[in-house]
Amino acid sequence: MDVTESDLPGVGKKHEVDIGGGQQLVIVTHNTGTRELYLKASDDADSEKLVELSDRMARLVGTILEGAYFQPVQSDHVETMLAEGTLLEWFAVDPDSPLVGETVASADVGQRTGVTVVAIQRDGEVIPGPMPERTIEAGDTLVVVGDRGSCDDFERLLTGEQ
Amino acid sequence: MADLLGVGVLFAAVAVAGVVAVRVDKSVIPLYIVVGMVLSPSVTDGIAVAGYAFPTIGGSEFVDIGAELGIVFLLFFLGLEFNLDRLVESRQRIGRAGLLDLGINFGAGLLLGFALFRDPLAAVLVAGIVYISSSAIITKSLIDLGWIANDEAEPMLGSLVFEDLFIAVYLTVAAALVTGGSDVGAAATSVGVALAFIVGLLLLARYGTPWFERALQTNSNEYKVLRAVGVTVLVAGVALAIGVSEAVAAFFVGMAFAPTSHVHDLENLLEPVRDTFAAVFFFWIGVETDPTLFPSVAGLVAAAVVVTTPTKILSGYLGGRAYDLGPRRSMRVGLGMVTRGEFSLIIAAVALTGAGVSLSTDLASAIYSFTVAYVLVMSVLGTMLMQYSEPFERFAVERFGTK
Repeated sequence: MDVTESDLPGVGKKHEVDIGGGQQLVIVTHNTGTRELYLKASDDADSEKLVELSDRMARLVGTILEGAYFQPVQSDHVETMLAEGTLLEWFAVDPDSPLVGETVASADVGQRTGVTVVAIQRDGEVIPGPMPERTIEAGDTLVVVGDRGSCDDFERLLTGEQ
Repeated sequence: MADLLGVGVLFAAVAVAGVVAVRVDKSVIPLYIVVGMVLSPSVTDGIAVAGYAFPTIGGSEFVDIGAELGIVFLLFFLGLEFNLDRLVESRQRIGRAGLLDLGINFGAGLLLGFALFRDPLAAVLVAGIVYISSSAIITKSLIDLGWIANDEAEPMLGSLVFEDLFIAVYLTVAAALVTGGSDVGAAATSVGVALAFIVGLLLLARYGTPWFERALQTNSNEYKVLRAVGVTVLVAGVALAIGVSEAVAAFFVGMAFAPTSHVHDLENLLEPVRDTFAAVFFFWIGVETDPTLFPSVAGLVAAAVVVTTPTKILSGYLGGRAYDLGPRRSMRVGLGMVTRGEFSLIIAAVALTGAGVSLSTDLASAIYSFTVAYVLVMSVLGTMLMQYSEPFERFAVERFGTK
């Protein structure tokens, strides 16, 4: 995936995302927070303005695109970059996962993998900052924070690959 | 006398100018100037509405100070959005496009200025006036036309950054030369003082970041705005008091705030302040203009338009090529850079301060009227060239191909 960032002095920033087929999605982020979306049909074509979004609207649309707002696929791998190298990831707990029945404390994922469980999604509800005695059940979605290596370790632990 | 009614008429008039600008889809800056000209005392004196004399707006202290603040905030923002690191990062391309722009247009301006006014100082002023493109109008046109998302936006904004940096130094020297009088020694001293002050501000901007960071550390927007305005206007006032360009001082204060974490807050909070006083500045430009002088400078303006439109198109085209753009987009860069505006007017305001000091009163007012008329033409011409760029682009492609 190819993203080019450039500065527009006095205006804001421009990101060009190569979306395949020679097409580019151009996002102009104004200093005021307004986002403008353009489509460039080919390298030589003029950018065609698609839509202009307020800061708030852009964030909402962003979460939808990201899948954090609604996930069409029961994915066990959705991630968001929090900062350079730190990821926020969603993991589905399968019934045959070794972690089913463990408490947050007994699973000890912090020591074993380096990630922190920041929330559990269960039956459409979110349990933020789960207590150590909270039990992990099949069908839960665990929201964890950690660097890429820790998240990979956690995924192996969760699926019992270790 | 500056009464509230006069100030009310001023703001209502510029607000109407804004409405008209939206309606006709043109830049508002020339309209502000025209409104100022229409409401200047020479026109409104003697007019009475229902027995009440029309309020005098021009020449009032509020307009003078408001215009000064407009200059200060325009330059403050320039500094705020100016990023030295970024300039250094892409110095090769910006440098190449910027030097072409400077060499061609400033050079042509020097020759033109001397040919028109037969005075070396006038030549220096005219060179600055025809060199500096309008960041405000060009940036707005880029956004309106959607060019902002295209490749041509980069050389244009890059050249503008180069021009802004140059103009900060230029204004320092020009202001000192203009107020320094004809005595070479006095002029040298005032240039020296100005440069020393600028170096001091530059050091402050470079090393004062932690202090500026702390100075604005507050959760209240109210205090944040007041502190930023307090620092900026105070430094600008000190500069003016010791004979240094207040505009340049404001530029460096802006630059000092640029690396702090408050830069986005400042941009959002102070933008309306800047726009309010910038409107007063353009209005003041109109008020100070004597339209009866236009016929006498018409020939000069025509000559300047004929010379400096092609030079900007040429330098912009070459600048676009320096950014590896094809002929079509390079032509757009050239067309876009034609617009002159606020900074030319700031230089004209500097020229006015030299009346009877370093320039004869007639010459100062001739340069001033020349600039106002020139900016009125170029701001409209430049935006039109951008709007109707197609025939020029076709010409460029036919002449130079597509690569």
